Amino acid sequence: MFTVFKKFNTVRKVVAISVCFLALLPCICCGKPAASVPSKVSQVGTTEVTAVLEEVRGEFVNRANYDYAFVMKYKVTAVHRGSVEGDTIYVAHYNPQKPRSAAADARVPAIGGNVKRFRAGDVHRMALKARIDDYYMGGIINRYFEEYKGVIYWAVWTDDAQ
Amino acid sequence: MVIFAALLLFALNAVAQSAALPAASVEVDALAKEVAEKGWLVYGARGDNGTWDLFLSRPDGSQRRNITNSPDAEEAAPRFSPDGTKLLYRRMNRGAEINHDKWGFQGQLILANGDGSNPVAFGGEGEYPWATWSPDGRQVVCLFPKGIKVYDLNSKSVVREFARQGIYQQLFWSPDGNWFCGVANNQGESWTVVRVDAASGEVNAARKYQNCTPDWDPDSNHIILSSRPAGQPGAAGYGYTQLWLVSGDGAEQQLLYGEDGSHIYGGAFSPDGQYVIFTKDPTDGRASEKDGAPMCIVRAKDTPMITGESADLRKLHPITKNGPVLTLEKGWEPHWSYF
Repeated sequence: MFTVFKKFNTVRKVVAISVCFLALLPCICCGKPAASVPSKVSQVGTTEVTAVLEEVRGEFVNRANYDYAFVMKYKVTAVHRGSVEGDTIYVAHYNPQKPRSAAADARVPAIGGNVKRFRAGDVHRMALKARIDDYYMGGIINRYFEEYKGVIYWAVWTDDAQ
Repeated sequence: MVIFAALLLFALNAVAQSAALPAASVEVDALAKEVAEKGWLVYGARGDNGTWDLFLSRPDGSQRRNITNSPDAEEAAPRFSPDGTKLLYRRMNRGAEINHDKWGFQGQLILANGDGSNPVAFGGEGEYPWATWSPDGRQVVCLFPKGIKVYDLNSKSVVREFARQGIYQQLFWSPDGNWFCGVANNQGESWTVVRVDAASGEVNAARKYQNCTPDWDPDSNHIILSSRPAGQPGAAGYGYTQLWLVSGDGAEQQLLYGEDGSHIYGGAFSPDGQYVIFTKDPTDGRASEKDGAPMCIVRAKDTPMITGESADLRKLHPITKNGPVLTLEKGWEPHWSYF
């Protein structure tokens, strides 16, 4: 009796696993959620790149009353749209302590993405605009100012591209 | 008997309080009388209808009246024209939160007579950002991402355009017309108050690190501003914001007023430079999002002044003066005209 029950239980488990596998098959095959929405990364900005976040220099300023953009250093691995000079670029992200999906506000309404936090070594696909001063009017923390005087890109959309 | 004893106690208490009226209070009364007839203040404050309205009052707080009284709108950041005959300010829809750092982008630019009458929308929502008067009152200068633009008020045409040199908020034109000041990104540092030469467009830092709400001394050579210097132990290392006076070239840096435990913003001189008005708030930087903060007036000749215990601030500035502080109603971004 006990053996019969055990066999029945095993069959049930196999069936359940098979059903789950079939249900998840579309996601596994295409490598992304079945109902994914096309990202805005290819629709906004003037330049689109995939780049490795090489360095986040120093700490973010975490003061709720003050908004700012924070300049980070990237190594470009692919240019999808537009052009950049060289493979090292400097990109300013608005209020970087916030997930990109929550960073937009009244002053900067049209930014976003799915990156939740910035960590050196992460790979991002970004829609950019240059120069930052033409698009953003607010505080900028640029810890590369002494060593780099070139273009600072303004990050409009930032997606994870691991 | 009991009633008699209570009345006696009440009378004795009143006499004691009167006798103990501090000398400071007498000095404050004297300051109030001194400024009472010296023109008018205009400022934003909560009206009885719950929205932000504009108020006029004498500098001692008397003759206060609501000059917008609009339950369907929020008005803020008024500035008298240099001759006092006109006002400019921003008007937002009811319920809009006035952001202490973004108000110049918000709502419509309104021009009105100096007493608030005949208000006219000069542009649409968000247009003419950070508009401020030219010295002759015939133009306004505005701040855009791609540069600074000077508009003729009659034609609304752009008469001049130049680089904003990193300035991102609170742009003001000097009374002599030779300079602009504003809050800027400069040399890799944000929240720097800079001076821009109106003729050449050249920029220099007037004071670096955590500064805002600059305005011109009537002499056009100095800038009054709020500054929260580094290294203050108070507020768990956050520090407190003080009022400073700096020369346009940044060579002179002088504390004007401070008190540990309070953040001082919105500093402005009276038109003759004899008095200083500001707001004083125990919390930092969100007065416009709440109900404003008490406005205060001191004599310029009594500065540098530190009030309260302020042990940390007094260590940094051992030589200061004493003087009365006239405290008025709550307001935000007050401005003073003698006309």
